[in-house]
Amino acid sequence: MSAQDTPSAPSPNSSTGDGRQTWLRFFLSNEFGLILLIAAFIVIFAVSTRGFLSPFNLFSLGRNSAVNIMIGLSMMTVIVTGGLNLAVGAMGVCAAMAFGWLIEVLGLPWPIALLGGLGMGAALGFINGWTVVRTGLHSFIITLATMSIFFGVMIFLTRAESYRAIPDVFSALGKMKIATYLSPLLLVTLACALALTWLYRFTVTGREMLAAGASPAAAELSGIRVGRIIILCHMLSGVLAGMAALMLVARNGAAIPSMAGQLGQDWLLPAFLGPVLGGTLLQGGKVSVLGTVLGAFLVTMLSSGLLMLQIGAFWVQTFLGLMLLIAVLLDKARRSYLTRRNLA
Amino acid sequence: MTQTPIFRAQSIEKAFPGVLALKGVDISLHPGSIHALLGENGAGKSTLIKVITGVHQPTAGTMYLDGAETRFTSPRDAIAKGIGVVHQERNLFPRFSVAENIFLEQLATSYLKPVNYAQLNRDARPWLDALELDIDPATPVSELSVARMQLVEIAKALSLKSRVLLLDEPTASLTSSETDRLFTILRRLRDDGTSLVFVSHKLEEVQEICDRVTVLRDGANACDSRSMDGVDRDQLVQMMIGRSEGAAAWRHRDTASHPEVLGLTGVSTVLGHRDITLSVRKGEIVGLYGLIGVGRTELAKSIMGQFAVTGGEVRVNGTAVQIGSVAEAIHRHGLGYISEDRKGEGLILQHSVLANAGVPIWRKLAGALGSLSDGRVQQVVTPFLNKLEVKTPSLAQTVGNLSGGNQQKISVAKWLAAGVSFLIVDEPSVGIDIKTKAYLHELLRELADNGTAILLISSDMPEMIALADRIAVMDDYRIRGEVPNTGVYDDISRKIMNHIHGSEVDRTEFAEASNP
Repeated sequence: MSAQDTPSAPSPNSSTGDGRQTWLRFFLSNEFGLILLIAAFIVIFAVSTRGFLSPFNLFSLGRNSAVNIMIGLSMMTVIVTGGLNLAVGAMGVCAAMAFGWLIEVLGLPWPIALLGGLGMGAALGFINGWTVVRTGLHSFIITLATMSIFFGVMIFLTRAESYRAIPDVFSALGKMKIATYLSPLLLVTLACALALTWLYRFTVTGREMLAAGASPAAAELSGIRVGRIIILCHMLSGVLAGMAALMLVARNGAAIPSMAGQLGQDWLLPAFLGPVLGGTLLQGGKVSVLGTVLGAFLVTMLSSGLLMLQIGAFWVQTFLGLMLLIAVLLDKARRSYLTRRNLA
Repeated sequence: MTQTPIFRAQSIEKAFPGVLALKGVDISLHPGSIHALLGENGAGKSTLIKVITGVHQPTAGTMYLDGAETRFTSPRDAIAKGIGVVHQERNLFPRFSVAENIFLEQLATSYLKPVNYAQLNRDARPWLDALELDIDPATPVSELSVARMQLVEIAKALSLKSRVLLLDEPTASLTSSETDRLFTILRRLRDDGTSLVFVSHKLEEVQEICDRVTVLRDGANACDSRSMDGVDRDQLVQMMIGRSEGAAAWRHRDTASHPEVLGLTGVSTVLGHRDITLSVRKGEIVGLYGLIGVGRTELAKSIMGQFAVTGGEVRVNGTAVQIGSVAEAIHRHGLGYISEDRKGEGLILQHSVLANAGVPIWRKLAGALGSLSDGRVQQVVTPFLNKLEVKTPSLAQTVGNLSGGNQQKISVAKWLAAGVSFLIVDEPSVGIDIKTKAYLHELLRELADNGTAILLISSDMPEMIALADRIAVMDDYRIRGEVPNTGVYDDISRKIMNHIHGSEVDRTEFAEASNP
């Protein structure tokens, strides 16, 4: 037998199946899974607790998730580069303290102080980014160090005193209720999330961030200034951390050095939970803003619901840790399923 | 042949999600023979090898070892039954030593017994010696050059003392002299009765060393296992691509009167280049020839601004320039670089075709506030992707899932879309099948004819002679001389060798390498 004719292979992805595949892909997506989970837990908590759907609880749930989502977004902007930012908490607190100092000591009007606070976040982000780029070390080490440095310097400068002279207009933002149950802070967070979605999908800078995160070498040789982009990601992270901290200031009516715990560590769990549940790749290069929002919201809702079920606070921590683990395992299963079905 | 095959596979089918990679392939391997397995990229060679070595389980079909039906449940199982393999991808642990890598499967006899490193290193020696590899077995693999890693991998396969040894493109990153050495060893193994399978895109090598052949096309046999006697190159090509090879002959082009696009005078770099003088005119293809590791890629990256130029003059379109970053080289001066390391530096594998093809033009296409839509990028990029006949289900497809040839087409399309006036092409046909290679050559000529200045880096002499107008010879981070291309192979290779031997660096092995 010699060379035999073989029929040509049918193309695996014919155009007719595309629409259905898009839907299938959505139903198999992380975001859809999160929406299902959120819906399921809303039903569970609404049935099993009293007042879960009360306007007051919805309000405080919205306000808490506004902060948690913002913290998650702050971490997400650095995870995009394949890095981490352990200093989110420390940077946030520093931004808040700068805000308080500008108002109380310099007597500046709050909108200017607000810009000053966010500027502080950006500046600290610049320090992180610049050091990471210059040393070529992993941001894990750099931000572990700067977390301590930022926090230590802040405590030294403020003598661990709070700034309490926050203008009423500003703290009113934290207490304001739109239609009895909606916190304006949540709207601010959602606006930020929309802006980030726009950044990553529809701007050159956002695409360059993703490219630089996925493959720095290839990005560099394609004409992307990778160093500059990474610094920018860290600065963005600083601004978002500052936003989260300022929302806490609005809620508490004061800028308190311990608002994020010792060294800002209280923020770390929410910072990672949002992006990881939301399907942002830890290796960098892929991002899901919607996923981060949903992930952080789910976490906030779970903590609030579990507390209302009067389960001890330590059980809530255990439960959240378990959630993280299960979510990662589920995601792994989902991905291998997608690869097997050739959908990814 | 009257001999009975040591291994036979019959009607092997292998289905992957959405693709039938093998559609009933037969192959039979005889002891004491070197069997060529040929086919274009995507023809199913690697899949077949993975089925034979237990990495994949066949969907259908039977395999016979010594005439008895057999199946391999895992690579370990296949190794235990005497089937060894050197895969196309690197399978070494960079931080482990050479000896540890060679004996990975048999580091210690029991779990708690400490590893005897002195013994391990002693045991590794003979296998390295067999390949005339002069390295300390205790060296971490990460410190070796790519070529040497490849040889270590072959040493590892040899140490398994397999009865059937499959080599998937073992020569891809070897120089001619290293290849010759490998062939000597393969012949010795053959004479000792081992059955070898040799996969390569280089037909010259196949004709030199193989005595039997199986050709695959689109996952099926284009020819059954047969003797190489009486099969010539044209027939092989015909079986592989289903038609005869397009004549890709060199032709003389007169560019002497064209203006210079890129010029270097007495350039030195932080990487150690000294006194580099080079000029590429509009519409001209200048070859930069040299062995791996003599500073060609490094020069390319220095021109692109990734590494600093410390002395001399760099001119773009006649104006002296200082290029501080790759971004500047691309966006301000219109220079482009197609990397030799397609997967590492050329493409972002986890991103889509569209995202990859558009990177260099994002800045150019951006509107107010840096906004950019997929639609705009698509509009610009699609004509080039179509022109290059990139085969992809959609523009949203992840580049990492495409074949090597298609990936290379995308990395070329990216620069076509960017409309650069000077393009450095670094080893464009590594890992590319014959059809795509001929196509790429045609494309580079067409680009030059349309006015792009091209600097071609290649260690493939026939490729150089097919494309370049002039060939600059590099050795030890210096330009040793320049040879005009006359299209006469022997003449040019002799001149190139003279230039390299004119240098004080002694490279006796190069003399062997130069013989076509």
